[in-house]
Amino acid sequence: MLKLRFFRRQSEIQRIGQIQRLGLFATLGPKELRVVSSLLQERQYLKGEIVFDEGEEGQALYVVLSGRVLICRQGGAEAVRIAEVSAGAMFGELALLDNAPRSAQVRAVEDCVLGVLSRADFNGLVETHGVIASKIALQLARELGQKLREHFLAMDARPL
Amino acid sequence: MSRPYLASGPLVWLATIGITTLLLVASAKALWLVVPFLLAIILYYLLYPAVRRLELAGFRRETAAALVAGGFTALAVALLVPTVPWLIAQSVAGEAVLAGYLEGGRVLIDRTLRALESQFGFLQRMDFHAEMGRKATEFGNTFMQKELAASLLGAATQLPVLLLAPFLAFFILRDGRSFMQRLVSVVPNAFLERTIYMFDRVHTTARNYFQGLLKLAVADTLFLATGLWLIGLSGALILAVVAALFAWIPVVGSVLACSTIALVAATEFPNDLWYVYASVAVFLLNRLLDAFVIMPMTVGRSIRMHPLPTVLMLFIGGAVAGVAGLVLALPLAGVVSAIVGTIGGIIDDPRLRARHAFAKALQAQRINADLRL
Repeated sequence: MLKLRFFRRQSEIQRIGQIQRLGLFATLGPKELRVVSSLLQERQYLKGEIVFDEGEEGQALYVVLSGRVLICRQGGAEAVRIAEVSAGAMFGELALLDNAPRSAQVRAVEDCVLGVLSRADFNGLVETHGVIASKIALQLARELGQKLREHFLAMDARPL
Repeated sequence: MSRPYLASGPLVWLATIGITTLLLVASAKALWLVVPFLLAIILYYLLYPAVRRLELAGFRRETAAALVAGGFTALAVALLVPTVPWLIAQSVAGEAVLAGYLEGGRVLIDRTLRALESQFGFLQRMDFHAEMGRKATEFGNTFMQKELAASLLGAATQLPVLLLAPFLAFFILRDGRSFMQRLVSVVPNAFLERTIYMFDRVHTTARNYFQGLLKLAVADTLFLATGLWLIGLSGALILAVVAALFAWIPVVGSVLACSTIALVAATEFPNDLWYVYASVAVFLLNRLLDAFVIMPMTVGRSIRMHPLPTVLMLFIGGAVAGVAGLVLALPLAGVVSAIVGTIGGIIDDPRLRARHAFAKALQAQRINADLRL
Protein backbone atom coordinates (compact mmCIF):
# COMPACT_ATOMS: atom_id res chain seq x y z
CA MET A 1 0.00 0.00 0.00
CA LEU A 2 2.82 2.38 0.97
CA LYS A 3 4.69 1.38 -2.19
CA LEU A 4 1.59 2.13 -4.30
CA ARG A 5 1.21 5.53 -2.65
CA PHE A 6 4.93 6.25 -3.30
CA PHE A 7 4.60 5.46 -7.03
CA ARG A 8 1.39 7.47 -7.28
CA ARG A 9 3.16 10.42 -5.66
CA GLN A 10 6.12 10.03 -8.06
CA SER A 11 3.85 10.09 -11.11
CA GLU A 12 2.04 13.12 -9.70
CA ILE A 13 5.36 14.96 -9.23
CA GLN A 14 6.38 14.01 -12.78
CA ARG A 15 3.08 15.29 -14.18
CA ILE A 16 3.31 18.53 -12.19
CA GLY A 17 6.82 19.03 -13.64
CA GLN A 18 5.41 18.50 -17.12
CA ILE A 19 2.53 20.95 -16.81
CA GLN A 20 4.77 23.51 -15.11
CA ARG A 21 6.75 23.79 -18.35
CA LEU A 22 3.59 24.69 -20.31
CA GLY A 23 3.20 28.41 -21.05
CA LEU A 24 -0.40 28.40 -19.83
CA PHE A 25 0.55 27.24 -16.34
CA ALA A 26 4.00 28.88 -16.14
CA THR A 27 2.99 31.48 -13.55
CA LEU A 28 1.37 29.01 -11.11
CA GLY A 29 2.98 28.14 -7.77
CA PRO A 30 3.56 24.52 -6.55
CA LYS A 31 0.25 24.32 -4.60
CA GLU A 32 -1.66 25.81 -7.50
CA LEU A 33 -0.04 23.35 -9.91
CA ARG A 34 -1.15 20.48 -7.68
CA VAL A 35 -4.75 21.72 -7.89
CA VAL A 36 -4.54 21.92 -11.71
CA SER A 37 -2.82 18.53 -11.89
CA SER A 38 -5.65 16.91 -9.90
CA LEU A 39 -8.08 18.17 -12.54
CA LEU A 40 -6.12 16.77 -15.52
CA GLN A 41 -7.47 13.45 -16.75
CA GLU A 42 -5.05 11.14 -18.55
CA ARG A 43 -6.24 9.53 -21.80
CA GLN A 44 -4.40 7.12 -24.07
CA TYR A 45 -4.71 7.38 -27.86
CA LEU A 46 -3.50 4.89 -30.45
CA LYS A 47 -1.53 5.91 -33.53
CA GLY A 48 -4.03 7.20 -36.12
CA GLU A 49 -6.88 7.74 -33.65
CA ILE A 50 -8.79 11.03 -33.91
CA VAL A 51 -8.73 13.19 -30.79
CA PHE A 52 -11.39 15.61 -32.05
CA ASP A 53 -12.88 16.65 -35.35
CA GLU A 54 -12.96 20.02 -37.06
CA GLY A 55 -16.32 21.70 -36.44
CA GLU A 56 -16.98 19.76 -33.22
CA GLU A 57 -17.96 21.75 -30.11
CA GLY A 58 -14.86 22.11 -27.92
CA GLN A 59 -15.17 21.02 -24.29
CA ALA A 60 -11.56 20.62 -23.20
CA LEU A 61 -7.92 21.62 -23.51
CA TYR A 62 -5.37 18.88 -24.18
CA VAL A 63 -1.79 18.60 -22.96
CA VAL A 64 0.52 16.12 -24.73
CA LEU A 65 2.14 14.14 -21.91
CA SER A 66 3.86 11.71 -24.29
CA GLY A 67 3.82 11.04 -28.03
CA ARG A 68 2.89 13.38 -30.90
CA VAL A 69 -0.33 14.63 -32.50
CA LEU A 70 -1.05 16.22 -35.87
CA ILE A 71 -3.27 19.26 -36.27
CA CYS A 72 -4.81 19.41 -39.74
CA ARG A 73 -7.70 20.97 -41.59
CA GLN A 74 -9.92 19.51 -44.30
CA GLY A 75 -9.10 21.64 -47.37
CA GLY A 76 -10.82 19.95 -50.29
CA ALA A 77 -10.00 16.30 -50.98
CA GLU A 78 -6.84 16.16 -48.85
CA ALA A 79 -6.12 17.22 -45.29
CA VAL A 80 -3.92 20.32 -44.87
CA ARG A 81 -1.23 19.90 -42.21
CA ILE A 82 -1.11 22.83 -39.81
CA ALA A 83 1.26 21.71 -37.09
CA GLU A 84 2.64 18.76 -35.20
CA VAL A 85 2.54 18.95 -31.41
CA SER A 86 4.92 16.90 -29.24
CA ALA A 87 5.17 16.06 -25.55
CA GLY A 88 5.09 19.11 -23.28
CA ALA A 89 2.89 21.18 -25.59
CA MET A 90 -0.87 21.70 -25.65
CA PHE A 91 -3.71 22.28 -28.08
CA GLY A 92 -7.45 23.10 -28.08
CA GLU A 93 -6.97 25.88 -25.52
CA LEU A 94 -9.74 28.01 -27.05
CA ALA A 95 -12.24 25.47 -25.68
CA LEU A 96 -11.54 26.91 -22.22
CA LEU A 97 -13.22 30.13 -23.32
CA ASP A 98 -16.36 28.96 -25.12
CA ASN A 99 -17.93 26.02 -26.92
CA ALA A 100 -17.21 27.38 -30.41
CA PRO A 101 -16.53 24.74 -33.07
CA ARG A 102 -12.99 23.35 -33.24
CA SER A 103 -11.04 25.04 -36.05
CA ALA A 104 -9.08 21.91 -37.00
CA GLN A 105 -8.92 18.15 -36.61
CA VAL A 106 -6.38 16.54 -34.27
CA ARG A 107 -5.08 13.01 -34.79
CA ALA A 108 -2.47 10.96 -32.94
CA VAL A 109 0.68 10.56 -35.09
CA GLU A 110 2.01 7.92 -32.70
CA ASP A 111 0.67 6.29 -29.53
CA CYS A 112 0.28 9.10 -27.05
CA VAL A 113 -0.93 10.02 -23.59
CA LEU A 114 -2.89 13.27 -23.33
CA GLY A 115 -3.91 15.25 -20.24
CA VAL A 116 -7.43 16.66 -20.57
CA LEU A 117 -8.60 19.78 -18.72
CA SER A 118 -12.32 20.35 -19.29
CA ARG A 119 -13.95 23.76 -19.54
CA ALA A 120 -16.32 22.67 -16.76
CA ASP A 121 -13.33 22.14 -14.43
CA PHE A 122 -11.80 25.45 -15.54
CA ASN A 123 -15.12 27.21 -14.79
CA GLY A 124 -15.05 25.47 -11.40
CA LEU A 125 -11.61 26.99 -10.84
CA VAL A 126 -12.99 30.43 -11.72
CA GLU A 127 -15.60 30.03 -8.97
CA THR A 128 -13.48 28.50 -6.24
CA HIS A 129 -9.83 29.27 -7.07
CA GLY A 130 -10.13 32.70 -8.64
CA VAL A 131 -6.38 33.39 -8.41
CA ILE A 132 -5.42 30.23 -10.32
CA ALA A 133 -8.11 30.80 -12.94
CA SER A 134 -7.09 34.43 -13.49
CA LYS A 135 -3.41 33.45 -13.85
CA ILE A 136 -4.35 30.82 -16.46
CA ALA A 137 -6.70 33.25 -18.23
CA LEU A 138 -3.99 35.94 -18.35
CA GLN A 139 -1.49 33.49 -19.84
CA LEU A 140 -4.12 32.34 -22.33
CA ALA A 141 -4.75 35.95 -23.38
CA ARG A 142 -0.98 36.47 -23.81
CA GLU A 143 -0.63 33.34 -25.97
CA LEU A 144 -3.63 34.31 -28.10
CA GLY A 145 -2.22 37.83 -28.50
CA GLN A 146 1.10 36.34 -29.62
CA LYS A 147 -0.64 34.10 -32.17
CA LEU A 148 -2.65 37.07 -33.44
CA ARG A 149 0.52 39.15 -33.87
CA GLU A 150 2.23 36.28 -35.74
CA HIS A 151 -0.84 35.95 -37.96
CA PHE A 152 -0.80 39.67 -38.80
CA LEU A 153 2.94 39.54 -39.50
CA ALA A 154 2.38 36.60 -41.86
CA MET A 155 -0.37 38.54 -43.62
CA ASP A 156 1.91 41.59 -43.96
CA ALA A 157 4.63 39.43 -45.51
CA ARG A 158 2.23 38.12 -48.16
CA PRO A 159 2.69 39.76 -51.61
CA LEU A 160 -0.18 42.08 -52.61
CA MET B 1 -19.76 19.54 -38.88
CA SER B 2 -20.91 17.92 -35.64
CA ARG B 3 -24.52 17.57 -34.59
CA PRO B 4 -26.10 19.17 -31.50
CA TYR B 5 -24.81 17.71 -28.23
CA LEU B 6 -28.28 17.20 -26.81
CA ALA B 7 -30.94 15.29 -28.71
CA SER B 8 -34.49 16.49 -28.19
CA GLY B 9 -37.99 15.51 -29.25
CA PRO B 10 -40.82 13.25 -28.14
CA LEU B 11 -38.62 10.14 -27.85
CA VAL B 12 -36.20 11.91 -25.48
CA TRP B 13 -39.16 13.23 -23.46
CA LEU B 14 -40.71 9.75 -23.23
CA ALA B 15 -37.41 8.14 -22.23
CA THR B 16 -36.81 10.87 -19.62
CA ILE B 17 -40.30 10.49 -18.12
CA GLY B 18 -40.07 6.68 -18.18
CA ILE B 19 -36.62 6.45 -16.56
CA THR B 20 -37.42 9.15 -13.97
CA THR B 21 -40.65 7.32 -13.04
CA LEU B 22 -38.75 4.04 -12.57
CA LEU B 23 -36.18 5.81 -10.37
CA LEU B 24 -38.96 7.42 -8.34
CA VAL B 25 -40.66 4.04 -7.80
CA ALA B 26 -37.30 2.61 -6.68
CA SER B 27 -36.71 5.59 -4.38
CA ALA B 28 -40.13 5.10 -2.77
CA LYS B 29 -39.08 1.52 -1.93
CA ALA B 30 -35.77 2.66 -0.41
CA LEU B 31 -36.88 5.85 1.30
CA TRP B 32 -34.70 5.08 4.34
CA LEU B 33 -31.66 5.55 2.08
CA VAL B 34 -33.01 8.25 -0.22
CA VAL B 35 -33.72 10.80 2.54
CA PRO B 36 -30.20 10.76 4.08
CA PHE B 37 -28.68 10.65 0.60
CA LEU B 38 -30.69 13.72 -0.43
CA LEU B 39 -29.60 15.53 2.73
CA ALA B 40 -26.01 14.43 2.08
CA ILE B 41 -26.12 15.96 -1.41
CA ILE B 42 -27.48 19.23 0.02
CA LEU B 43 -24.69 19.16 2.66
CA TYR B 44 -22.13 18.43 -0.08
CA TYR B 45 -23.09 21.54 -2.05
CA LEU B 46 -23.09 23.56 1.18
CA LEU B 47 -19.62 22.40 2.29
CA TYR B 48 -17.91 21.99 -1.09
CA PRO B 49 -16.58 25.60 -1.35
CA ALA B 50 -14.90 25.26 2.07
CA VAL B 51 -13.14 22.04 0.98
CA ARG B 52 -11.78 23.74 -2.14
CA ARG B 53 -10.52 26.69 -0.09
CA LEU B 54 -8.64 24.31 2.21
CA GLU B 55 -7.21 22.50 -0.82
CA LEU B 56 -5.81 25.77 -2.11
CA ALA B 57 -4.36 26.45 1.33
CA GLY B 58 -2.26 23.31 0.83
CA PHE B 59 -4.38 20.56 2.44
CA ARG B 60 -4.88 17.27 0.62
CA ARG B 61 -8.43 16.51 -0.54
CA GLU B 62 -8.90 13.77 2.09
CA THR B 63 -7.74 16.02 4.94
CA ALA B 64 -9.80 18.98 3.70
CA ALA B 65 -12.96 16.82 3.46
CA ALA B 66 -12.38 15.35 6.93
CA LEU B 67 -11.77 18.79 8.47
CA VAL B 68 -14.84 20.38 6.87
CA ALA B 69 -17.23 17.46 7.50
CA GLY B 70 -15.87 17.03 11.04
CA GLY B 71 -16.15 20.76 11.71
CA PHE B 72 -19.72 20.82 10.47
CA THR B 73 -20.69 17.82 12.62
CA ALA B 74 -19.05 19.41 15.69
CA LEU B 75 -20.89 22.68 15.01
CA ALA B 76 -24.20 20.87 14.54
CA VAL B 77 -23.69 18.96 17.81
CA ALA B 78 -22.70 22.18 19.63
CA LEU B 79 -25.88 23.86 18.41
CA LEU B 80 -28.17 20.88 19.02
CA VAL B 81 -27.01 19.83 22.49
CA PRO B 82 -28.25 22.98 24.28
CA THR B 83 -31.66 22.56 22.62
CA VAL B 84 -32.11 18.96 23.85
CA PRO B 85 -33.78 19.90 27.20
CA TRP B 86 -36.15 22.22 25.32
CA LEU B 87 -36.91 19.51 22.73
CA ILE B 88 -37.65 16.96 25.50
CA ALA B 89 -39.98 19.46 27.23
CA GLN B 90 -41.70 20.11 23.90
CA SER B 91 -42.13 16.41 23.13
CA VAL B 92 -43.63 15.83 26.59
CA ALA B 93 -46.06 18.69 26.11
CA GLY B 94 -46.28 17.97 22.35
CA GLU B 95 -49.72 16.35 22.39
CA ALA B 96 -51.26 19.15 24.43
CA VAL B 97 -49.64 21.80 22.20
CA LEU B 98 -50.84 20.07 19.03
CA ALA B 99 -54.31 19.65 20.46
CA GLY B 100 -54.29 23.38 21.26
CA TYR B 101 -53.37 24.25 17.67
CA LEU B 102 -55.97 21.88 16.26
CA GLU B 103 -58.58 23.42 18.54
CA GLY B 104 -57.47 26.85 17.27
CA GLY B 105 -57.93 25.56 13.73
CA ARG B 106 -61.38 24.20 14.56
CA VAL B 107 -62.42 27.57 16.00
CA LEU B 108 -61.06 29.31 12.89
CA ILE B 109 -63.03 27.03 10.55
CA ASP B 110 -66.12 27.42 12.75
CA ARG B 111 -65.94 31.20 12.67
CA THR B 112 -65.23 31.33 8.95
CA LEU B 113 -68.18 29.03 8.20
CA ARG B 114 -70.47 31.12 10.39
CA ALA B 115 -69.36 34.24 8.55
CA LEU B 116 -70.03 32.49 5.22
CA GLU B 117 -73.46 31.31 6.39
CA SER B 118 -74.43 34.82 7.38
CA GLN B 119 -73.49 36.01 3.87
CA PHE B 120 -75.09 33.22 1.79
CA GLY B 121 -78.62 32.04 2.50
CA PHE B 122 -78.30 28.68 0.73
CA LEU B 123 -75.46 27.68 3.07
CA GLN B 124 -77.68 28.49 6.06
CA ARG B 125 -80.45 26.30 4.65
CA MET B 126 -77.98 23.44 4.18
CA ASP B 127 -76.87 23.85 7.83
CA PHE B 128 -73.41 23.98 6.30
CA HIS B 129 -71.64 25.19 9.43
CA ALA B 130 -72.96 22.38 11.66
CA GLU B 131 -72.25 19.70 9.07
CA MET B 132 -68.71 20.88 8.32
CA GLY B 133 -68.01 21.40 12.03
CA ARG B 134 -68.98 17.78 12.73
CA LYS B 135 -66.70 16.54 9.96
CA ALA B 136 -63.83 18.74 11.18
CA THR B 137 -64.21 17.38 14.73
CA GLU B 138 -64.31 13.81 13.40
CA PHE B 139 -61.21 14.44 11.29
CA GLY B 140 -59.42 16.06 14.24
CA ASN B 141 -60.15 13.11 16.52
CA THR B 142 -59.11 10.46 13.99
CA PHE B 143 -56.04 12.49 12.99
CA MET B 144 -54.89 12.97 16.57
CA GLN B 145 -55.59 9.42 17.70
CA LYS B 146 -54.39 7.40 14.74
CA GLU B 147 -52.60 9.13 11.89
CA LEU B 148 -50.63 11.78 13.79
CA ALA B 149 -49.33 9.31 16.36
CA ALA B 150 -48.38 6.85 13.62
CA SER B 151 -46.69 9.57 11.50
CA LEU B 152 -44.71 10.92 14.46
CA LEU B 153 -43.62 7.41 15.43
CA GLY B 154 -42.60 6.75 11.81
CA ALA B 155 -40.62 10.01 11.70
CA ALA B 156 -38.94 9.17 15.02
CA THR B 157 -37.75 5.79 13.68
CA GLN B 158 -36.22 7.60 10.68
CA LEU B 159 -34.20 9.98 12.87
CA PRO B 160 -31.16 7.68 13.46
CA VAL B 161 -30.95 7.11 9.69
CA LEU B 162 -30.55 10.88 9.24
CA LEU B 163 -27.21 10.60 11.06
CA LEU B 164 -26.01 8.90 7.87
CA ALA B 165 -26.24 12.25 6.03
CA PRO B 166 -22.98 13.87 7.29
CA PHE B 167 -21.22 10.50 6.94
CA LEU B 168 -22.34 10.19 3.30
CA ALA B 169 -21.55 13.87 2.66
CA PHE B 170 -17.97 13.28 3.88
CA PHE B 171 -17.45 10.44 1.40
CA ILE B 172 -18.98 12.42 -1.47
CA LEU B 173 -16.69 15.35 -0.60
CA ARG B 174 -13.63 13.12 -0.34
CA ASP B 175 -14.13 10.67 -3.21
CA GLY B 176 -16.78 12.32 -5.43
CA ARG B 177 -14.31 13.85 -7.88
CA SER B 178 -12.09 10.77 -8.23
CA PHE B 179 -15.22 8.60 -8.65
CA MET B 180 -16.37 10.87 -11.50
CA GLN B 181 -12.88 10.77 -13.05
CA ARG B 182 -12.92 6.97 -12.86
CA LEU B 183 -16.33 6.91 -14.54
CA VAL B 184 -15.08 9.18 -17.33
CA SER B 185 -11.91 7.10 -17.72
CA VAL B 186 -13.91 4.07 -18.92
CA VAL B 187 -15.68 6.08 -21.63
CA PRO B 188 -14.26 5.50 -25.16
CA ASN B 189 -12.16 8.39 -26.52
CA ALA B 190 -14.64 9.18 -29.29
CA PHE B 191 -17.35 10.03 -26.74
CA LEU B 192 -15.05 11.78 -24.23
CA GLU B 193 -16.06 15.40 -24.86
CA ARG B 194 -19.77 14.49 -24.96
CA THR B 195 -19.39 12.68 -21.64
CA ILE B 196 -17.56 15.65 -20.11
CA TYR B 197 -20.42 17.85 -21.29
CA MET B 198 -23.00 15.43 -19.86
CA PHE B 199 -21.34 15.26 -16.43
CA ASP B 200 -21.08 19.04 -16.41
CA ARG B 201 -24.80 19.34 -17.19
CA VAL B 202 -25.69 16.80 -14.48
CA HIS B 203 -23.44 18.50 -11.92
CA THR B 204 -24.69 21.99 -12.83
CA THR B 205 -28.33 20.88 -12.70
CA ALA B 206 -27.97 19.24 -9.28
CA ARG B 207 -25.79 22.03 -7.85
CA ASN B 208 -28.06 24.85 -9.07
CA TYR B 209 -31.14 23.01 -7.83
CA PHE B 210 -29.90 22.22 -4.33
CA GLN B 211 -28.00 25.46 -3.80
CA GLY B 212 -31.10 27.22 -5.15
CA LEU B 213 -33.22 25.41 -2.56
CA LEU B 214 -30.88 26.58 0.22
CA LYS B 215 -30.96 30.20 -0.99
CA LEU B 216 -34.74 29.98 -1.34
CA ALA B 217 -35.05 28.69 2.24
CA VAL B 218 -32.89 31.54 3.60
CA ALA B 219 -34.82 34.21 1.63
CA ASP B 220 -38.20 32.72 2.66
CA THR B 221 -37.14 32.50 6.31
CA LEU B 222 -36.00 36.13 6.41
CA PHE B 223 -39.12 37.46 4.68
CA LEU B 224 -41.64 35.37 6.63
CA ALA B 225 -39.91 35.86 10.00
CA THR B 226 -39.93 39.64 9.52
CA GLY B 227 -43.55 39.69 8.32
CA LEU B 228 -44.91 37.41 11.07
CA TRP B 229 -42.88 39.23 13.74
CA LEU B 230 -44.34 42.55 12.60
CA ILE B 231 -47.85 41.06 12.88
CA GLY B 232 -47.00 39.98 16.42
CA LEU B 233 -46.91 36.18 16.21
CA SER B 234 -44.70 34.60 18.87
CA GLY B 235 -42.06 32.15 17.56
CA ALA B 236 -42.09 33.91 14.18
CA LEU B 237 -38.58 32.67 13.36
CA ILE B 238 -39.33 28.98 14.05
CA LEU B 239 -42.59 29.26 12.10
CA ALA B 240 -40.73 30.90 9.20
CA VAL B 241 -38.07 28.13 9.17
CA VAL B 242 -40.79 25.43 9.14
CA ALA B 243 -42.69 27.21 6.33
CA ALA B 244 -39.45 27.71 4.33
CA LEU B 245 -38.61 24.00 4.61
CA PHE B 246 -42.15 23.08 3.57
CA ALA B 247 -41.58 25.21 0.44
CA TRP B 248 -39.10 22.54 -0.73
CA ILE B 249 -42.09 20.29 -1.41
CA PRO B 250 -43.76 21.47 -4.60
CA VAL B 251 -47.56 22.12 -4.47
CA VAL B 252 -48.31 20.29 -1.17
CA GLY B 253 -45.63 22.25 0.71
CA SER B 254 -47.38 25.59 0.19
CA VAL B 255 -50.69 24.22 1.47
CA LEU B 256 -49.01 22.71 4.55
CA ALA B 257 -47.04 25.89 5.30
CA CYS B 258 -50.09 28.16 4.87
CA SER B 259 -52.24 25.88 7.07
CA THR B 260 -49.55 25.81 9.79
CA ILE B 261 -49.25 29.61 9.83
CA ALA B 262 -53.05 30.03 9.86
CA LEU B 263 -53.38 27.49 12.73
CA VAL B 264 -50.75 29.24 14.84
CA ALA B 265 -52.27 32.69 14.21
CA ALA B 266 -55.78 31.39 14.98
CA THR B 267 -54.61 29.77 18.21
CA GLU B 268 -52.68 32.81 19.39
CA PHE B 269 -55.42 35.30 18.51
CA PRO B 270 -58.68 33.33 18.78
CA ASN B 271 -60.84 36.44 19.00
CA ASP B 272 -59.46 38.35 16.06
CA LEU B 273 -59.56 36.83 12.58
CA TRP B 274 -57.61 39.75 11.12
CA TYR B 275 -54.38 38.32 12.53
CA VAL B 276 -55.05 35.12 10.60
CA TYR B 277 -55.82 37.04 7.41
CA ALA B 278 -52.69 39.19 7.83
CA SER B 279 -50.48 36.11 8.43
CA VAL B 280 -51.92 34.34 5.38
CA ALA B 281 -51.43 37.54 3.35
CA VAL B 282 -47.75 37.67 4.38
CA PHE B 283 -47.39 34.03 3.34
CA LEU B 284 -49.10 34.60 -0.02
CA LEU B 285 -46.94 37.67 -0.65
CA ASN B 286 -43.89 35.52 0.07
CA ARG B 287 -45.09 32.85 -2.38
CA LEU B 288 -45.62 35.52 -5.06
CA LEU B 289 -42.13 36.89 -4.41
CA ASP B 290 -40.81 33.31 -4.67
CA ALA B 291 -42.65 32.55 -7.89
CA PHE B 292 -41.77 35.74 -9.74
CA VAL B 293 -38.42 36.86 -8.31
CA ILE B 294 -36.51 34.35 -6.16
CA MET B 295 -37.37 31.03 -7.86
CA PRO B 296 -36.47 32.21 -11.40
CA MET B 297 -33.13 33.47 -10.02
CA THR B 298 -32.31 30.28 -8.10
CA VAL B 299 -34.06 26.91 -8.59
CA GLY B 300 -35.73 27.89 -11.87
CA ARG B 301 -32.36 28.19 -13.60
CA SER B 302 -31.39 24.62 -12.90
CA ILE B 303 -34.07 22.53 -14.62
CA ARG B 304 -33.82 23.25 -18.31
CA MET B 305 -36.88 21.27 -19.32
CA HIS B 306 -40.05 22.07 -21.22
CA PRO B 307 -42.90 23.06 -18.81
CA LEU B 308 -45.16 20.19 -20.00
CA PRO B 309 -42.92 17.24 -18.97
CA THR B 310 -41.96 19.22 -15.85
CA VAL B 311 -45.58 19.45 -14.65
CA LEU B 312 -46.20 15.85 -15.70
CA MET B 313 -43.19 14.72 -13.66
CA LEU B 314 -44.55 16.49 -10.57
CA PHE B 315 -47.84 14.63 -10.84
CA ILE B 316 -46.13 11.30 -11.47
CA GLY B 317 -43.68 11.92 -8.61
CA GLY B 318 -46.52 12.63 -6.18
CA ALA B 319 -48.50 9.60 -7.37
CA VAL B 320 -45.70 7.01 -7.21
CA ALA B 321 -43.60 8.24 -4.28
CA GLY B 322 -45.69 10.73 -2.28
CA VAL B 323 -43.93 13.70 -0.69
CA ALA B 324 -40.46 12.26 -1.45
CA GLY B 325 -41.53 11.92 -5.08
CA LEU B 326 -42.62 15.56 -5.20
CA VAL B 327 -39.28 16.72 -3.81
CA LEU B 328 -37.21 14.40 -6.03
CA ALA B 329 -39.19 14.60 -9.28
CA LEU B 330 -37.71 17.83 -10.65
CA PRO B 331 -33.99 17.41 -9.88
CA LEU B 332 -34.15 13.76 -10.94
CA ALA B 333 -35.94 14.66 -14.18
CA GLY B 334 -33.34 17.38 -14.87
CA VAL B 335 -30.45 14.95 -14.37
CA VAL B 336 -32.10 12.14 -16.37
CA SER B 337 -32.96 14.57 -19.17
CA ALA B 338 -29.28 15.62 -19.45
CA ILE B 339 -28.13 11.97 -19.57
CA VAL B 340 -30.83 10.81 -22.01
CA GLY B 341 -30.29 13.89 -24.22
CA THR B 342 -26.52 13.28 -24.43
CA ILE B 343 -26.87 9.55 -25.13
CA GLY B 344 -29.51 10.40 -27.76
CA GLY B 345 -27.07 12.90 -29.29
CA ILE B 346 -24.36 10.21 -29.54
CA ILE B 347 -26.74 7.65 -31.07
CA ASP B 348 -27.86 10.31 -33.55
CA ASP B 349 -24.30 11.19 -34.65
CA PRO B 350 -22.93 8.72 -37.25
CA ARG B 351 -19.51 10.42 -37.32
CA LEU B 352 -18.97 9.78 -33.61
CA ARG B 353 -20.00 6.17 -33.94
CA ALA B 354 -17.70 5.78 -36.95
CA ARG B 355 -14.79 7.26 -34.97
CA HIS B 356 -15.45 4.83 -32.14
CA ALA B 357 -15.60 1.90 -34.58
CA PHE B 358 -12.33 3.09 -36.15
CA ALA B 359 -10.62 3.30 -32.74
CA LYS B 360 -11.84 -0.21 -31.91
CA ALA B 361 -10.53 -1.47 -35.24
CA LEU B 362 -7.13 0.11 -34.52
CA GLN B 363 -7.08 -1.60 -31.14
CA ALA B 364 -8.09 -4.96 -32.65
CA GLN B 365 -5.38 -4.58 -35.31
CA ARG B 366 -2.80 -3.93 -32.57
CA ILE B 367 -3.95 -6.92 -30.50
CA ASN B 368 -4.10 -9.28 -33.51
CA ALA B 369 -0.91 -8.03 -35.21
CA ASP B 370 1.21 -11.07 -34.34
CA LEU B 371 -1.54 -13.69 -34.64
CA ARG B 372 -1.27 -14.07 -38.43
CA LEU B 373 1.50 -16.13 -39.95
